Amino acid sequence: DFEASFIRLIDKVTNGSRIEINQTGTTLYYQPGLLYGGSLEHDCSPSRGIGYYLESLLCLAPFMKHPLKIVLRGVTNDQVDPSVDVLKATALPLLKKFGIDGESLEIKINRRGMPPKGGGEVLFACPVRKVLQPIQFTDPGKIKRIRGTAYSVRVSPQMANRMVESARSILNKFLPDIYIYTDHMKGVRSGKSPGFGMCLTAETINGTILSAELASNPQGQGAAVLPEELGQNCAKLLLEEIYRGGCVDSTNQSLALLLMTLGQRDVSKVLLGPLSPYTIEFLRHLRSFFQIMFKIETKTPEEEHMGGEKVLMTCVGVGFSNLSKTIR
Amino acid sequence: MEEKEKKKHRAKHSGPKAEKKRKRYLSDLGLGDEENARKRNPKAFTVHSAVRMARTFHRTQDLKTKKHHIPVVDRTPLEPPPVVVVVVGPPKVGKSTVIKCLIKNFTRQKLVEIRGPVTIVSGKKRRLTIIECGCDINTMIDLAKVADLVLMLIDASFGFEMETFEFLNICQVHGFPKIMGVLTHLDTFKNNKQLKKTKKRLKHRFWTEVYPGAKLFYLSGMVHGEYQKQEIHNLGRFISVMKFRPLTWQTSHPYVLVDRMEELTNPEDVRINPKCDRKISLYGYLRGAHLKNKSQIHMPGVGDFAVSDVSFLPDPCALPEQQKKRSLNEKEKLVYAPLSGVGGIVYDKDAVYIDLGGSHAFQEELRPNHELVQSLISTHSAIDVKMASSKVSLFMDSRPLGSEDVRQEFVMPKEEKQVDLKTGRVRRRAVFEEEEKEDDDAVSDEEDDEEEEAAMSEDGSDGDDEDDAEEESDTELLEEEMAVERAKRLKPEAINEEVVNELPAFADSDDDLEMSSEGEGQTAPEESEIEEDEEEEEEERTYKNESSDSEFEAASKREAKSKQNEVNTEDTEMRSQILDHSLKRKAGLTTDSGNCTEEEVSESEVANSSLSEGDPEEGSGGELEVEKSDGKGFRHTPAKKADSIRQTKLKAVEAAADDDVENLLREEEEYEEKIDFSADTIGALKWKEDLTQKAAQAFLRQQRSTPNLRKLVYGTAVEDDDHESEDAADELGGLFRVSRPDKASKEKANALDCSKFLIEKPQDWDLEEVMSSIRDCFVTGKWEDDKDAAKLLEEDEELYGDFEDLETGVVHKGKHAAEGDESGSEEEEEDGKMSKPEPEEEEKKKERMDKKQKLKERFDAEYDEGDATYFDDLKEEMHKQAQLNRAEFEDQDDETRVQYEGFRPGMYVRIEIENVPCEFVLNFDPHYPVILGGLGNSEGNVGYVQLRLKKHRWYKKILKTRDPLILSLGWRRFQTIPMFYIEDHNGRHRLLKYTPQHMHCGATFWGPITPQGTGFLAVQSVSGTTPDFRIAATGVVLDLDKSITIVKKLKLTGFPFKIYKNTSFIKGMFNSQLEVAKFEGAAIRSVSGIRGQIKKALRAPAGAFRATFEDKLLMSDIVFVRTWYPVSIPTFYNPVTSLLKPAGEKDSWSGMKTTGQLRHERGIKLKQNKDSLYKPIVREKRHFNKLHIPKALQKALPFKNKPKNLAKKGKTPKDQWRPAVIREPHEKKISALLSALSTVNNYKIRKAKVKHREQLKEYLKVKQKEDEQKFRRQKEAKKKIYRILGQREKKRQKSSLKGSSKGEKSV
Repeated sequence: DFEASFIRLIDKVTNGSRIEINQTGTTLYYQPGLLYGGSLEHDCSPSRGIGYYLESLLCLAPFMKHPLKIVLRGVTNDQVDPSVDVLKATALPLLKKFGIDGESLEIKINRRGMPPKGGGEVLFACPVRKVLQPIQFTDPGKIKRIRGTAYSVRVSPQMANRMVESARSILNKFLPDIYIYTDHMKGVRSGKSPGFGMCLTAETINGTILSAELASNPQGQGAAVLPEELGQNCAKLLLEEIYRGGCVDSTNQSLALLLMTLGQRDVSKVLLGPLSPYTIEFLRHLRSFFQIMFKIETKTPEEEHMGGEKVLMTCVGVGFSNLSKTIR
Repeated sequence: MEEKEKKKHRAKHSGPKAEKKRKRYLSDLGLGDEENARKRNPKAFTVHSAVRMARTFHRTQDLKTKKHHIPVVDRTPLEPPPVVVVVVGPPKVGKSTVIKCLIKNFTRQKLVEIRGPVTIVSGKKRRLTIIECGCDINTMIDLAKVADLVLMLIDASFGFEMETFEFLNICQVHGFPKIMGVLTHLDTFKNNKQLKKTKKRLKHRFWTEVYPGAKLFYLSGMVHGEYQKQEIHNLGRFISVMKFRPLTWQTSHPYVLVDRMEELTNPEDVRINPKCDRKISLYGYLRGAHLKNKSQIHMPGVGDFAVSDVSFLPDPCALPEQQKKRSLNEKEKLVYAPLSGVGGIVYDKDAVYIDLGGSHAFQEELRPNHELVQSLISTHSAIDVKMASSKVSLFMDSRPLGSEDVRQEFVMPKEEKQVDLKTGRVRRRAVFEEEEKEDDDAVSDEEDDEEEEAAMSEDGSDGDDEDDAEEESDTELLEEEMAVERAKRLKPEAINEEVVNELPAFADSDDDLEMSSEGEGQTAPEESEIEEDEEEEEEERTYKNESSDSEFEAASKREAKSKQNEVNTEDTEMRSQILDHSLKRKAGLTTDSGNCTEEEVSESEVANSSLSEGDPEEGSGGELEVEKSDGKGFRHTPAKKADSIRQTKLKAVEAAADDDVENLLREEEEYEEKIDFSADTIGALKWKEDLTQKAAQAFLRQQRSTPNLRKLVYGTAVEDDDHESEDAADELGGLFRVSRPDKASKEKANALDCSKFLIEKPQDWDLEEVMSSIRDCFVTGKWEDDKDAAKLLEEDEELYGDFEDLETGVVHKGKHAAEGDESGSEEEEEDGKMSKPEPEEEEKKKERMDKKQKLKERFDAEYDEGDATYFDDLKEEMHKQAQLNRAEFEDQDDETRVQYEGFRPGMYVRIEIENVPCEFVLNFDPHYPVILGGLGNSEGNVGYVQLRLKKHRWYKKILKTRDPLILSLGWRRFQTIPMFYIEDHNGRHRLLKYTPQHMHCGATFWGPITPQGTGFLAVQSVSGTTPDFRIAATGVVLDLDKSITIVKKLKLTGFPFKIYKNTSFIKGMFNSQLEVAKFEGAAIRSVSGIRGQIKKALRAPAGAFRATFEDKLLMSDIVFVRTWYPVSIPTFYNPVTSLLKPAGEKDSWSGMKTTGQLRHERGIKLKQNKDSLYKPIVREKRHFNKLHIPKALQKALPFKNKPKNLAKKGKTPKDQWRPAVIREPHEKKISALLSALSTVNNYKIRKAKVKHREQLKEYLKVKQKEDEQKFRRQKEAKKKIYRILGQREKKRQKSSLKGSSKGEKSV
């Protein structure tokens, strides 16, 4: 279902791609076309969050022919996929590091939609680049502030405040500079299902952003969750993420590695926390597609109290350049 | 005496004396010297106009920035590949002579014939690859793409030729390499003045083409068929100090200028189907960018291929290692030109060939032919043999080629050595003949030594053989015949063997496992040897041979070997590590032994001899090899000698037992041996594959102790696709135990395909310890010593005391403190070492001084950067990146480095390619360059490519849309069908039928995707020679897409069939209502210019519609609508496969013909449309109907505008016509008299009239006077009266005033 929707999305952003699915739906033949971009709209399947679609678009958007400006409709926050808030807070600064910049780079949440029915709407816009800059991103720096959003739709606005309180109670032990926005959406903007949740981001002095998020159980599934509990758990997740550390948070590891791979023929370096299984699989794909192998070194922080082991990833870009961008 | 008139003194006007005088004169005047004009005349240099000054400033600044290039990251490797020098010019201009002279200049070697690229060491840091470029346009295009430096030879006696200009244009399109002109044939000028003139003329023309000031060399005369030494020397100097600007295309793509080609096809396949696709390996220096394995490449002139394997080889033409010497010594002046048959040492993947011929010059002529023929026709049995494990092969240039061995030697050089042994006589003879003088002593001595050591008679027998061979060598012809025969006999046999053995190679591994259990001792040493040099690898192969011996023998041998190896202390550690591995490796090893046994059974000839007899033979064969290799080893490096001696000793012991048998069988089994070996090599291949893999595994295993993420991610380092399953199945090493649960979790995650990193067991963050574990991640936590603000402050205070610190940023402080700390500690250490007794105060002082110094430097750096430009910043950044690129993988060994970054430029690589058309091999001609151009990620695809194109101004014709054109774009040369278009103002791409004459236009074709901004050039045909300029068009790629939007104009016409006022019904434009519906609202127009709009379809005639116009139509009007019809582009993409043509016709490739050519060839006349023929214009007179004004309107009009129908009197009817009067003579007289009288009367009347008018004039004058007088009088009278009246009035007023005042008073 969501995969079909994804294929349709891919079909929309490309030109000349050929997709054939056999009758039983077991095999998919895909002949890639050219990334076209432009202004688009897409209805995502509510069985997966918009994050699922947005993640892949983040990888593709810088290499389109025309700047991408797409409206995605569906579930903005759920328990499975990285939510739009997190991507907005973490992925965009990451893209900026690679030279994908400009005011047209944005993710805007017009409406929030919670599972199971969704009804959210997100605007994603991304400029086009010909080549990416290599990055040297090995020092995460110290965390200087924690920001976050606690959202609630179709439930009492008090929920958000309760979450904030509980999260602060934990995080305040580490850092005084905490600000968690409460975001209560009403009316049309609140989507079709009730729910609440929060996402937290920790920003370091060097611009690294780590994130964690949690959402309530969707309506009619699982037990009801107390907002206090959720806030606490979310804060703990953030601490866990901080423990893992690295210059890129665990959700965006693969994105960072991909953009490094697609850079010019220069050395890029990035320090990551422990590699997630998804990233490991992703690295294997990178090798099979681009013949790129990363140099992987484990780094144990020299000092105590700096969290777990880190991984230093180094690679030489493949010298990719955006072939679809028109020159005048 | 007559005094001779004395010569008068003449003052000097020029020359130094006059100059001096003038100066003195001027200084006397106080004018001083000219240089000081500024001082002398300051007013002349003042600012006159600020605007003008600003302008000049701008201008200079512009010029300055114009000189900048966009900085690019310098990606040249530390050891750059040789510079490609392309020598180009029209025929008979002296290209080859220049090359020969240059080579001679650099290397002191004389090459007689140049074929293909020649690589030479030209200096301490530079190598050159010199290649000659013929006049074939294909060659010119290909070489222009890879050239770093172009030597453009120009025949001065003739002037510039088309080729020169063509090549310049090609260069311009594909990035401009450095170009140096060389004028030759200057000795043909007898007249010095003319020579000078010509030189000057050519120089200036050259400058306009390249750039003003481009270097032009003059090679004056020939001496003994060579250019003058000094001139060539200068030329060489220029070449070797030249600097190059990196070209975009070249730096972004890997490419190889192939200097050696070999065929690897299975001979069996070739036998079955001589036209089958071939597998070849190509050798050359990698240039440009990094090359990845399995990437796509393009071979211009052949096609696209996927690299099936790449490996790097030791540099055959290496730069000297130490740099300290001032100049190169003779040994370091290498030359490498395999296609020309030169090159000292040839390294292959697993073999080394040494060219020992001291007699190049004399053999050169023969050799190439043989080689060529060789590689072409060659050898059915050859390939596997080649793959065989062979070792060092000594090859003599001269002898082997002529004989049967040659066959094998060239195509499959690896085998050579073995061949020597087997078919001993030919080989040996060669050795003696050629090298008697130089090598005899060395080789034979070595051999003798070994023999003594071994106490063997075997080599003696060999020696006999050799002697025999020598004798035979005299009768060369005879022998060659024999060779041919032998080869013939050999073929079928070999084939049989292969067929039989290929399968068993796999099958036998099982039963061999038993054997392997005994042989642990043996395998372990072998492992250890892997790590050793190639030589030792060769020895391994001999082991292999031995392992094929029957089991009882093998057992004893292994014992011996293991003993031997235990002596080697170094190896023992390795062995222990690898022992756990041995099981696998044995399997691999024993497969070939299985092969051998199989073979032997199958051999008919060996049937009489027992199995054991056959085997020892092999063993001895192997041994011999070793000896040979040893011999080489001696010559090479004493270090290796020791090893090899050890080995030979060992072998000698083993071989002793078999010796006599061997001698007996020797002659009979020459052929069989060959077969054995060929079969062996099949096994060997497999074995070898295993070997590398195993070696890699073993290596990794060593590193197991450190948890290696790389393994986790990429599996066993060197990737085999099946490694995962394999490992999971049979290995339970520590690594995989770790990775397995991971895989499981991965799969779990895969089910969801989500990038979130789920946490299985989160830590309890309420606990204090856990919390403290990340405490320092926050700014509130503890900082590192060097960054801790508190500490820094403290330190600062210590240091500076009262100084106020203006810098406030934490990071700032951190940095400087860090530096300070470092330096401090260093200093301390140093100090500690150097001067302990010194008082501490001094130390501290020093420290402080140092810190100050550092601070100052930082300050300087900061403030100097203040005025740095953007350009400088960018440059700096690029420089940093370049340094990082260099440094990152520097410490790694090549093997791993290759995996990370691919093969880096400068490496000598061997590239294997499969599925190459057989014509490439069959028609290989070293004179034509073979280039492997790497393709980027999506450059292997095809799509629609948009170009900006301009017809070359020197090309005679214009280009027609839809005519095939050959483009050179990227690496490729291909024929395609472009469509020309021009962009309208609204962005529409309108099709053009022809290219405009002097303007750019767009073009779109279907072909390979190439990055935007890449230049291209087009030619109509690459075959034949025309005196005209061949380059038809040039341009650049603009855009790539999967669809196109070129449209052409289409006018649909229709005719009115019913006309109301402004509405008309139109038919004939469309065919159905649906069509009309599509065009509703479209603008239409009549030919006469009346505009209108399509309204709605009509029912009655299909396709008719109602339309409104701004005026009434006529029935004769034609109505049309302008539409745009999308053009489809023919998907025609035909690579130019010029290299596949037979040897003599490589420049005669012809692809699709244009319709024009076809018509011309077949004599088909174009049928012209009669309507479009020109004919005299006949214009009919137009009649305009009268303007008709309705009566009602006429009535309403004012009279002025009313039509006046007075003029229209109408004709008088006939009955009212008056009859003409005919007079009588009498009446005539009367009328004449009457007319005369009337004339007189008229005259009188006129006279009277005139008189009367004069009188009247007089009268009027008089009257006027009178009137005037009268008027004056009247005026005066009036004046008088008015005055009186006025006075009276005044009086009255006065009186009345008085009266009134009185009256007022009274009132």
